Amino acid sequence: MGLARRIAIVGVGETRYERRATRDLASLRCEASRAALADAGLAAAAVDGLIVPGSGYAELHELARDLGMRGQFHAASCFHSGTAVVAAPLEAALAIEGGLAHTVLCCQGVAWGSERRGNVGQPHAEMRMKAAFEIPFGWYPQVVHFAGMARRHMELYGTTEAQLGAVAVACRRHAALHDNAILATEPLELDGYLASPYLAEPFRSADCCLVNDGAGAFVMTSLERARELRADPVVVLGVGCGVVPDGEYSSLREDYLATAAVHSAPRAFAMAGIEPADVDFVALYDNFTALVIQQLEDMGFCARGEGGPFVEGGRIELGGALPVNPSGGQLAQAFVFSVNHVVETVRQLRGDAGARQVADAEVGVVTGYTGAQHATLVLGRG
Amino acid sequence: MSGVADVAERHLPDPAWSVARPFWEGCRAGELRIPRCDRCGRWVWYPAPLCPDCGGEHHVWTATAGRATLFTWVTVRRAFLPGYRAPYVTALVALAEDPRVRLATFLRDIPTRGLRAGMPVELLFETVSEHLTLPAFRCVG
Repeated sequence: MGLARRIAIVGVGETRYERRATRDLASLRCEASRAALADAGLAAAAVDGLIVPGSGYAELHELARDLGMRGQFHAASCFHSGTAVVAAPLEAALAIEGGLAHTVLCCQGVAWGSERRGNVGQPHAEMRMKAAFEIPFGWYPQVVHFAGMARRHMELYGTTEAQLGAVAVACRRHAALHDNAILATEPLELDGYLASPYLAEPFRSADCCLVNDGAGAFVMTSLERARELRADPVVVLGVGCGVVPDGEYSSLREDYLATAAVHSAPRAFAMAGIEPADVDFVALYDNFTALVIQQLEDMGFCARGEGGPFVEGGRIELGGALPVNPSGGQLAQAFVFSVNHVVETVRQLRGDAGARQVADAEVGVVTGYTGAQHATLVLGRG
Repeated sequence: MSGVADVAERHLPDPAWSVARPFWEGCRAGELRIPRCDRCGRWVWYPAPLCPDCGGEHHVWTATAGRATLFTWVTVRRAFLPGYRAPYVTALVALAEDPRVRLATFLRDIPTRGLRAGMPVELLFETVSEHLTLPAFRCVG
């Protein structure tokens, strides 16, 4: 298809991930963006496309000014924060192929660790139907929504708490191999997981993503230009987006357990000309453990209902048949709307992942998620 | 009401919001009313401008029998909102009239043998104030 193998990622950067940073979000975004540009060997003046998902209008232009982008640039992002980072290569490819931009920077960051006001579910509390018909009945915040899906999965398919725990343990073990993972020095094994208290049953705290500060960024350009910039560009083999038709309210989805990965993954795989069996590792949006299991099913790595057994026995750990979230992911490294997953996947495909390196990694898949939206990105060694 | 520590602090719906007002009026009258398309009969939940089946614009708030089945549930061990006291069980129940209509609800009378998806539940009402009555569901059988 038209956009496959047309662009590449030529630079990645991250801040330190911390529970509470001493700097504000604008500084974190700047640092990650500058690191990504330095990794690409590019000056900010070379950037003429900017995607800062979830930022306000003012913040987008402050970042451009702070980085020193003095010329005209194309700004895009029609998807929400959790999806938009992973959909960014699609928007970048459209812009680059359409002649709107040559070099596109995507930056994402959060400062929820230090800027947190009240509950992280606050944006949901401002949705009127939730405010009227869900929150007064305790169906709030997100941990409750996703625990409800996990319970339904357990009821329909016999999925167990130990299988949820297998996802948490895999991510924690991977984080222990990373020098920039918040939970690197807090090991977790299955017996400790099962002995820990419930938060929103069946979820424990280890089933939930981190709340932290930090930012990541990556730079995209045409494959031709990428090859001039560096010997090991990471190629966008395919990217797909999807939505579920029933809207934002998960309580009312006709297929309650299906994420829009059922649409985004086939699109991305078809564009890349691959099957799930061709994928060497995945970096899946992991706000909660159960969503990893749901996505493995929705993307075709196993059948619906088989995600629980699939994650057992070390299959999703480094050295297993399909390593999942080798950086430790958002459960154990940092929650930054999957931008850490993009950065890690690029490093894995460059062979730069050190102790976490997936052997012979040639094809990696990243996902992004926001309720009704999902994006799947297939990256390949250049 | 179990799970509720302090009504004053609690997040409560605005019974005057025009879109939802007939729902709260129904609760005060002891009826669980859901909008129903007067052209094709589809239950339209949440309230929406158009029927998702036929596009009909006229929906009539219609009383339901208050019977439902348990779709999924969460036992909340740490209260996430002010005014609530954990533990409490919050659930989605599927209405007998159309199981696509799911309601978020507190679950009362939890049986000691535990919960199972598909269990029957029935409607009750809990008075919060003179202006507001909330529906809830209890396990039966």
